[in-house]
Amino acid sequence: MEKLHFNFDTKDAISKPVHVGVVASGDLEVIFRPTDKETEVNIVTGSDGFKEVWGNVLQRFFDRYPIQADIEINDFGSTPGVVNLRLTQALEELKDEK
Amino acid sequence: MKNSFVELHARERALSLLDAKTAREIVGPLDNMISPHLEPQNIVPESDDGIVLMRGMINGNNVLVVSIEGKFQGGGIGEVSGAKIVAALEKVLEENKQGNTIYPIIVLDTGGVRLQEANYGLLSISEIQNVVIALKKYVPVIGLVPGRVGSFGGMSITASILSYLIATNKARIALNGPEVIEQEAGVREFDSSDKDLIWDTLGTKQRSKTGLVDEVVDDTVDSIKDAIVNEIKTKKDAHRTENVDFYLSLLNKLDLSKKLDIDSYNKLYQSVVATKHEVPAATAGNKEGTKSRGRLWFEKLTGIENATSSISTVLHAQKDGKEYIAIVPDSDNKFPRVREGEVGLQEGFAVASIVNKIVADDKDKTVKRPIVLVVDVPSQAYGYQEELIGIHVALGSSAAAYAKARQAGHPVIDFIPGDAVSGGFLAHGLQSNRMIALDDDSITIQAMSKASAARITQRTIAELEEATKHVPAMAYDVDNYEKLGALYKLVKGIGSWEATDENVVKIKQLINEAITSLDGDTTLHFRYQTPIAKASGRKATLAVRKLVDEEWSK
Repeated sequence: MEKLHFNFDTKDAISKPVHVGVVASGDLEVIFRPTDKETEVNIVTGSDGFKEVWGNVLQRFFDRYPIQADIEINDFGSTPGVVNLRLTQALEELKDEK
Repeated sequence: MKNSFVELHARERALSLLDAKTAREIVGPLDNMISPHLEPQNIVPESDDGIVLMRGMINGNNVLVVSIEGKFQGGGIGEVSGAKIVAALEKVLEENKQGNTIYPIIVLDTGGVRLQEANYGLLSISEIQNVVIALKKYVPVIGLVPGRVGSFGGMSITASILSYLIATNKARIALNGPEVIEQEAGVREFDSSDKDLIWDTLGTKQRSKTGLVDEVVDDTVDSIKDAIVNEIKTKKDAHRTENVDFYLSLLNKLDLSKKLDIDSYNKLYQSVVATKHEVPAATAGNKEGTKSRGRLWFEKLTGIENATSSISTVLHAQKDGKEYIAIVPDSDNKFPRVREGEVGLQEGFAVASIVNKIVADDKDKTVKRPIVLVVDVPSQAYGYQEELIGIHVALGSSAAAYAKARQAGHPVIDFIPGDAVSGGFLAHGLQSNRMIALDDDSITIQAMSKASAARITQRTIAELEEATKHVPAMAYDVDNYEKLGALYKLVKGIGSWEATDENVVKIKQLINEAITSLDGDTTLHFRYQTPIAKASGRKATLAVRKLVDEEWSK
């Protein structure tokens, strides 16, 4: 297990907290919470040694969607594709007017 | 695989059952109720700790759906996940007592105790069983085993207690998983690589033929919802843990000289006629029984020398107005997997029979007879025929009997001079509301042996031992157990084998004090209220209970 921490200078505020995903094998859960501080991403991952990959996946995501949020990720060995999918799903939830 | 229920995650499962726009989650993933015990062991936690509590309606009926996430740590029950279930079910109980009918529905997709939080899992599961028994006086408690994981371990004991059990053909139900049986009893007992054997023995198809599953449904959301709606309407109760006479009759007819095959068992099951069984009190014998700490203390506490009983492993007797019950080893036992003092089929059903009789005898009395459990159980029995017949029902029968006795007002007190392990402890010990243990190094209190726990959690024994240093609930000794706050008293200075006259007097005095301390308490809440529990042992439990309370009727 490894804990990772990233900061991003993004400014699109989000309106509500959302949660998607499950900490199943090869999967992860993602939580976005509104914040008025700097965007923070805190990751707990079961696969050690992938800090650079996480950095790249997140950079690509925030380049495209510069949301300002407090983000928590619990990961159980998901691939970058799955990570990106869950992040995008969380965005969808934000738009959902339920 | 159109509209499959099994393929859904726990939260989606709960939502799929509820009428549109009626769902409200209690203590959800945004509430920060995360297990504090996983990260210290380098295990990634989940924000809902694998339990989804969803209030809502099904066809206009108020329900609470408890949905266990089988994909997170095998659906194992730890402190936070267990406390979520217990607290929510206790809320449902309160509501029903006040006349607000709420139907509890439990979606079981679980390996049982989460081995990484071992002793918390056992405590929590016994607390779940306790509230299920209390609830059944008001509403049916509906169980659903959809599968992939199925229902195993302590949660299968819980499943046996539920009013009505619905399952798909993708589920298996058993006490011990095949890998654990193979580890404990050898590959000849149960070959965990033989998938056909496993499914033929533990799968829903077989379980439904022998009364262990009440209804088999297709794996679609609609058929599962229909079955639940129908059960809410008809309120059927399988009374699965009340068939003690039937099972004791069945065990009498069992031919133990050869391996029981599935067809023969099914025929036997159909042919058995239940006859009344009573286990008479133990009497003095002229031959020494197999030595154990449990036997030693039972004999000293009751004054019966060389105690013998019609069921050699189950001793009970009245002394000073209290009923003492012990499960003891018998090296000549005809059930080979119970020779070390394990709790097997006969033990579970016999204890249930004894306790049910005590409750019936005292039904009209204002002061109920205290029941003292002498606890020295190295585990439940690990065996193929035990699983085929349904050892989880045997253990469920005794757990249910003890819970009912306590709820009826009988003080249920544990005296622990020996081991208190796993399903054995759930069946004989964990339904008590005061536990007295001896502070002796020889005592093991755990959910699984080190070898099996290491195999199942895919760690080495060295890694496992390292984890026990950081998480008291993972440890195997009574001093670490004390740190959980569940004990009424840890007795220093008396060894497990030191049952001298003087020490027996001391223990009897402590038992009396424990009974007096109850002061009408029939719950298991004492475990949360000791100074150790409040300061550290059950801190997370108490936080969960507080939050469930706050969010319940928002």
